[in-house]
Amino acid sequence: MSLSLRHISKSFGRATIFSDISLDVAEGETVVLFGPSGTGKTVLMRIIAGVEDADNGIIMIDNRDVTNSSPDNRGVGMAFQNFALFPHMSAYENVASALTAREGSATIIQERVNSIVKLLKIDHVMGHSPRELSNGQKQRTALARALVGAPRVLLLDDPLRNVDAKLRYEMRLELPNLLRRFGSAVLYVTQDYKEAMALGHRIAVLQGSRIIQAASPIDIYERPESLIVAKLFGDPTINVLPVMPRLHGDEVIIEIDGVSISIGQYYRDAVGIEASLALRPEHLVVCSTPGANSFPVEIVAETPLNEKTVLLTRTRSGTEVLVSMPAINEGTIPLGLGFVSFDPKSVLLFDRSTERRLRYFDR
Amino acid sequence: MDNVSPIEKVLKLAALTLILIFFMFPIFWILLMSFQTNETILRIPPSIVFEPTLSNYEALIRGKLVSTAGTLDIAFMSNLLNSVILSTSSVILALLFGVPAAYAFARYKFKLGEFIAFTLLSFRFAPPLLVLLPLSLIFQKIGLADTYIGLVWVYQLIALPLILWIVRGYFEDISPDIEHAYRIAGHGWRKTFLKVAVPLAGPGIAAAGLLAFIFCWNNFVFALILASADKQPVTVGALAFVTASGIQYGQIAAAIVLSATPTLVIALYAQRYLVEGLSLGAVKG
Amino acid sequence: MDDEIVLSIDKVDKIYERRNLAPVHAVKNLSMQVKKGEIVALLGSSGCGKTSTLRMIAGFESLSNGSLILNGRRIDTLPPSARNVAMAFEGYSLYPPLTVRDNISFALKSLRLPVNKMAEKVSKVAEMIEIGSILDRYPSSISGGQQQRASLARALVRSADLYLLDEPMGQLEPQLRAVLRGRIKRLLNENRMTAIFVTHDQTEANALADRIAVMEDGMLQQFASQHELKEHPANLFVATFIGEPPMNVFDAMVQRHGTQIVFHIKNGPNITVASTEATKLVGAREFVTIGIRPHNVIVSSGSLKAKIISNQWLGDQSHLALSVAGKLLVAVSHHRVVAQVGNEIAYDLPNNCLHVFDNTNGAALIHGVEKS
Repeated sequence: MSLSLRHISKSFGRATIFSDISLDVAEGETVVLFGPSGTGKTVLMRIIAGVEDADNGIIMIDNRDVTNSSPDNRGVGMAFQNFALFPHMSAYENVASALTAREGSATIIQERVNSIVKLLKIDHVMGHSPRELSNGQKQRTALARALVGAPRVLLLDDPLRNVDAKLRYEMRLELPNLLRRFGSAVLYVTQDYKEAMALGHRIAVLQGSRIIQAASPIDIYERPESLIVAKLFGDPTINVLPVMPRLHGDEVIIEIDGVSISIGQYYRDAVGIEASLALRPEHLVVCSTPGANSFPVEIVAETPLNEKTVLLTRTRSGTEVLVSMPAINEGTIPLGLGFVSFDPKSVLLFDRSTERRLRYFDR
Repeated sequence: MDNVSPIEKVLKLAALTLILIFFMFPIFWILLMSFQTNETILRIPPSIVFEPTLSNYEALIRGKLVSTAGTLDIAFMSNLLNSVILSTSSVILALLFGVPAAYAFARYKFKLGEFIAFTLLSFRFAPPLLVLLPLSLIFQKIGLADTYIGLVWVYQLIALPLILWIVRGYFEDISPDIEHAYRIAGHGWRKTFLKVAVPLAGPGIAAAGLLAFIFCWNNFVFALILASADKQPVTVGALAFVTASGIQYGQIAAAIVLSATPTLVIALYAQRYLVEGLSLGAVKG
Repeated sequence: MDDEIVLSIDKVDKIYERRNLAPVHAVKNLSMQVKKGEIVALLGSSGCGKTSTLRMIAGFESLSNGSLILNGRRIDTLPPSARNVAMAFEGYSLYPPLTVRDNISFALKSLRLPVNKMAEKVSKVAEMIEIGSILDRYPSSISGGQQQRASLARALVRSADLYLLDEPMGQLEPQLRAVLRGRIKRLLNENRMTAIFVTHDQTEANALADRIAVMEDGMLQQFASQHELKEHPANLFVATFIGEPPMNVFDAMVQRHGTQIVFHIKNGPNITVASTEATKLVGAREFVTIGIRPHNVIVSSGSLKAKIISNQWLGDQSHLALSVAGKLLVAVSHHRVVAQVGNEIAYDLPNNCLHVFDNTNGAALIHGVEKS
């Protein structure tokens, strides 16, 4: 393991920032630290980098205990959200600063700096001062500074946050390939779930001072362990309906507004429990006639959302259900009464009180 | 909000002119006096038109004052030298101690930190006369009376608190992330202090140093009590113009002009450097 | 939404003079008309002139040229207080010594409504914006997001001819923004309020606005509904600015073979179009710029082949980047595309989804060439 965190906890006064965080990042792996805004994720990065102390816990880099090592001795590279470039040095000197502490030869430093800035396409602005660079160039200079020392562990604290939308998308496409070249263990912080899914081999979801799930993007999206995780991933947000599943012969039945729908053999553990049924908007289909797995709704409004069309529908009991599909021409689906159907296999059921996902398949 | 009426403009201009005259007039007057002989100065009624003379400056520089009562030796030039030595040394010493101390106060939170910092600042509030008598006795005892070292040491009471408080503010204004980035890049805290914190607080350090220099230069009581003839700075040396044969206004004026000039020149030169680089744009925005 | 014009912006310029530096021409010859009950977004990246425009309408900046007419009255010579315009600022600007409730009702004081009427209006707006629970707190004790909402409430509670909102939800979390957008839109529509808001976020503009004015470098690029902007962008800037992911753009040489016109992408594939209309619009040009939106690119089938540079699955869509013509061609599919990075994949650029632009001034020539 390139990076190992064991039972890290930190509080400021009476506020607990996080308690008992444990995480491993392997060489060449990118783990995304995902969570709502707040200072928890940045504090964790600072603790790993060594510029802040944890209250408890151990940090290991390359099997070496660095918990008490100073930041200049940990072999870590970091890119900050607000760049943190040295204003009184040129862009070149900024990048080179990561090498000047150890490497003696100016020629070697120059070679290594030149090769990385060429890769990041900022070689032509190296003579400028940070003040003269655009946000995108500042961000890539900060990235170059973090990468040039070929660190074992790379900490990227929401580096794309302050960059314009077009450049952010471009970087999202290029970053994985770039990081793969260096083979460092990467810990990447973001609040954008699409960025998290695009960049991470695994995503660690930080919520309420703990990591509530750490898994591959697909597992997080398709098998979220708690309702919070299900709601954080997906646009539009996942639909949630209260249900109380019961058993009818061999099948599990749920009721929506008096309509019974079978969800087959799945989620037997949910029988008799007050549960929350979660349906992803893209898994729902609107039709004008009822079917095997459909419930009645009133189709209230149609809104475009990027390249999708989102229908706002309302169940008889007044719950809003969003249905999304690839963009269609406005007015194709008439407003008014209709039905929403879904595939039972795609359903997610959560315990209403604990909000934890119930067991899917019992075999 | 570009609609400012012409009346407002005229009123603004009038107010500014009045303020300018109020503050600049005494300086202007002294400048005039320095080019006038005593007789011209004391003439009644006073007149604007006169014959300028360099005799005052001549007397000061040559060190001899020729008057009706005879020739008097003036130590002005050596006083000037003393002022330079004392102020410069005091400021350098205060910077050497004050800048690292300011950094410590800014970056490290330690118990009693605020208390110590405020105590050090309180030295500025204390009236110097309070400490002068005991100080002069102590200095006599340990042989520091009438020495440059003794005076420079006492001048720290003026310079250190100033530098500490001003420079601490500048260090606090530097985003900690910038220093963190330098540490993570592999450099120890000493190098971070010297290569990142100090250059970025440069304008603040220069401003504090300049202010401390001016305050040291202007100090009167410490030098008066703790120094004698050959160590006296210009502030005390000015007393020599109150002679038995009358007050030599012309020479006083010239002495004032000459003693104010160094600090004025430094301030004008440093001003450019102070204002530049206050918003360096190395963080987002 | 009527056809009655509420605000008319006529040939407005704004030039900022600067000492020792060249003047900044922030707004250039802007002309637009806003209809009654309409919600208009001024959309653009920072520095495009949208905020300057809003401030001129509010009265905090003077016009260098042109005029502003609100409901038939010329307002650009009037001070802000006389314009009957309500504004919600980006920087919240609540009065610190007043509670949130008092801040919001401050705007109504001049109307001299009976106390209970005023309280009713205030609580109604507060409910809409979800700040009912903090009405009796002071600005210093509430979060940034709550301050922003209070500032918004203060502007919306007034009866004004026009409502101006400057990046009204910039500080709020995505989930709250989505909820508030719906509520604010409903509030504005129900009361037939005419509003102009400034934003750099397309999703916000798309969700709230009836029409969007895209600005860049001080100039109005296009003022139309989001559907128009997407389907018929007036120029290359609008085409690449609107839409996420951004439109793929390539330089192409034009070759004519009989009744067919072939766009030969430099170092890349050819796209053939046979349409007399298209031929006419392209005219005698030898070079053009071609655009195709990522959602229109077909992957996993097609006559062309390219190497996959990246393949990202985002839960409900696949984003692929292919190496085409020395650049990245982005394709989005609503199906999971299982393909390895580094391998080749088949793709197609359907010729009925092409946008063609003049390659010197970026003006749009063709939108969606019809297959003949």
